[in-house]
Amino acid sequence: MPIGYYLVVSALLFCTGLLGVMVRRNAIVLFMCIELMLNAVNLTLAAAARMWGGADGQVFVFFVIVVAAAEVVIGLALIVNLFFRRGTLDVDVPQLLRS
Amino acid sequence: MTLLAQAADVAATDASTAETIVFYVFAALALGSGLAVITMRNIVHGALMLVLNLLAIAGLYLALESTFLSIIQVLVYAGAITVLFLFVIMLLGIDRDDLLSVTSKRNAILASAAVALLAGALLVGIVGPYTGEASLCNQGATTTAGGACIGLEDALAGEEQGSVSFLGERMFTRYTFPFELSALLLTVATIGATLLGRRRDPEPDDEDDAPIGSGGTHVPADVLAADLDAVSEHSDARVEGDRPELRDAGQDPELDRGRDDSSVAPRGRDDSHPHRDTPEREG
Repeated sequence: MPIGYYLVVSALLFCTGLLGVMVRRNAIVLFMCIELMLNAVNLTLAAAARMWGGADGQVFVFFVIVVAAAEVVIGLALIVNLFFRRGTLDVDVPQLLRS
Repeated sequence: MTLLAQAADVAATDASTAETIVFYVFAALALGSGLAVITMRNIVHGALMLVLNLLAIAGLYLALESTFLSIIQVLVYAGAITVLFLFVIMLLGIDRDDLLSVTSKRNAILASAAVALLAGALLVGIVGPYTGEASLCNQGATTTAGGACIGLEDALAGEEQGSVSFLGERMFTRYTFPFELSALLLTVATIGATLLGRRRDPEPDDEDDAPIGSGGTHVPADVLAADLDAVSEHSDARVEGDRPELRDAGQDPELDRGRDDSSVAPRGRDDSHPHRDTPEREG
């Protein structure tokens, strides 16, 4: 079947994640939505790899997964520190940079 | 010869119908669980929906004949990353707050409109070039007579090696440098997470630089010790007293002032003038 179907699913997943990033206020949910967006892009890469019959797209997916793992590790450590320092994970609370 | 071609065609159509069924099942699962991730009020439910979403995408990888990616997806994403998410959620004890759900209604409507616009643009861009016969599959490699799809797995089978070895060969020949860079990135991420997760105890053993910095400005040792005691008491009281306040919104200025004081107190310890720091900040 044409990869357009996969691309439609991928585009809808990406938009779902983007909407979550724009709408939700919890920092952990924001990270989960970023994971959704990364997975949508991975799906696009895998579909393109299959369409062209090569392995380059799959190698890119592998690297994206590695970078996403590193990003999640650092981001969650930052979130834990942020929670212990500010007592909330609300990203809409201002005064983050106020002295 | 024609019999063989017919058999190949039958096999191809069978494979394509199986792929269609698998695709629709996992696509519906992925989209539904993706919507559930951003609409669940309970964060633990959202994380579990994220697990479901990642497994559904692993199924889509299977439909795309990328078995290695599917296994990696299950292992790394569903096995490690979401466990990390759940661990942090349980560690912070924020699984019950539904106050932190959504921004204001007006912003939500504006964001939905913008994202719907983007989705429409993406779909219009996709439907044109990528749904025709030309984009069936395996375009760059061999195509059969009628332009039918022979699939990635068959293309790999023609080389008498599996998907994993094909991928590994490509990864260690053309992409060696990015591979090493990703190893470096993982190392840096591990070290950074260890440093960020280190608890800073107000013990004198852990603060080797504090007496050195304060020794230059002739702060007496008992003053420093008293200050350290005050800091430790203050931080203990903050940890104890903060817990019930997390349940409510955290918007009142009283809480913010307490938080500001608590963030000042550990910094005064590292400063060279610990006892003169507080009046300057309040003034």
